[in-house]
Amino acid sequence: MPAPEHHARSHLTIALAVWKALFLREAVTRVSGSRAAWLWLILEPVAHLSIVMLIFSAVRRRLFDGVSFALFLAIGILAYNLFRNCATRSMAAISANRALFAYRQVKAVDVVLVRAFLEGVIQFFVGGVLLAAMSVVGFHTLPHDPLAVFFLFAVFWAFGTGVGLILSAGSTLVPEIGKLATLFFVPLYFLSGVLYSPRILPPEMREWLLLNPLMHGLELLRAAFFANYTVVSGVEVGYLVTSTCASIFLGLALHVRFSSRLVME
Amino acid sequence: MIVVDDVHKRYRTDHGPGKWVLRGVTLTIPSKTNVGLVGRNGAGKSTLLRLIGGVDVANRGRIERLCRVSWPMGFGGGLQGSLSGRQNAKFVCRIHGHEADMAERIAFIQDFAEIGEAFEEPVKTYSSGMKSRLQFALSLAFDFDIYISDEVTSAGDAAFQEKALSAFQRLADRAGLIMVSHSDGLLTEFCTAGIWLNRGEAVWFDDINDALQAYNQSIAMEGASL
Repeated sequence: MPAPEHHARSHLTIALAVWKALFLREAVTRVSGSRAAWLWLILEPVAHLSIVMLIFSAVRRRLFDGVSFALFLAIGILAYNLFRNCATRSMAAISANRALFAYRQVKAVDVVLVRAFLEGVIQFFVGGVLLAAMSVVGFHTLPHDPLAVFFLFAVFWAFGTGVGLILSAGSTLVPEIGKLATLFFVPLYFLSGVLYSPRILPPEMREWLLLNPLMHGLELLRAAFFANYTVVSGVEVGYLVTSTCASIFLGLALHVRFSSRLVME
Repeated sequence: MIVVDDVHKRYRTDHGPGKWVLRGVTLTIPSKTNVGLVGRNGAGKSTLLRLIGGVDVANRGRIERLCRVSWPMGFGGGLQGSLSGRQNAKFVCRIHGHEADMAERIAFIQDFAEIGEAFEEPVKTYSSGMKSRLQFALSLAFDFDIYISDEVTSAGDAAFQEKALSAFQRLADRAGLIMVSHSDGLLTEFCTAGIWLNRGEAVWFDDINDALQAYNQSIAMEGASL
């Protein structure tokens, strides 16, 4: 049998080429897809924050000593958006890239991972711009523990990717899963404590709501941001990280198990 | 060379697994050989092309591509609607590792497709003829040892078809080809060998005419038995 006469590319080279091509393909449609799409990326969290502030400013200005409520909300919204956008946009990645599965180099897991990565990059810039703008207006936006803030944002990102992997596979195989997931993201916003700290909850309710890893993440993020913010008991970084790893593992496992069905359906 | 070893394929339907489309196909397709694939509608021609092209996976058996094999060309896939023709072309260049000489290849694709300014517009605005022009141009822009073609030659209007056929001939001369066509004329023009897909199994013929004869006889016999 003659050896293949061409210079075969390694699996890694192919994967990197595919990821780069997909990243640029996704970035083009995300940032220049519709008129001033990049502007909306910034305006969306700003509008979100403004509306919530408008509603709550009448109620209270300061949550705790040294913690501005606007900043408290801003980082909660940024982190939650990072998670939700990663998860929901990667959920739609397979159907949006269906035509590209005509090339065997492109797998379902590639389009999901690349979309989640792009979403992370975008939200990173959006967060940077928002916090910089708040700093200009006079808020003290420099975090108390920057390393922990970066780490926690990375975990939110990874968790969103993991959930995105699960939902992309799940919603492609069983379309109802996609519909339920979309419905579920609305209450999840309120169940994650974006607008409040779990310390204001009654203990028995708090116990239940702390089953949600996002609530742990948001609480830890605030503690990393504000010097004199202490997390409520029961919040653990280990729970958040374990959930993240579990979601990524389950998501990748689904993509391995159903790899051929995901590009076929 | 492509090795197809005891490949079985059936599709999943809404009512569980469907019937076997391919039942133990075993073939060795050498590079630089032009092979015509014949068989009735639903005999599994496109399925076999998709399996060889690696965009689908066999339920049983294995397929080894020991040379550069193209994607299955011509069934309308491979173009992302929200991207322009140019962006699609760039994407295909990138995933095939042609980042360095991308400009030349894009220029070739743009030149060959002859779709004018539409090259910068989203593909979803294209007519089916424009789409097939772009697809055909894309398929010519890369060097493969074996091309997989599912009725590619029927692309575009009369003027384009003429150009496409002569380009296809040059391609068939320099590389291997596995093609499906319902035109006996095209098959005998481009192919030397033939594969007849019948009842989920494949029969190899060194001469395409023998394959066509076997296929046409089977149709005639079925017609007679009715």
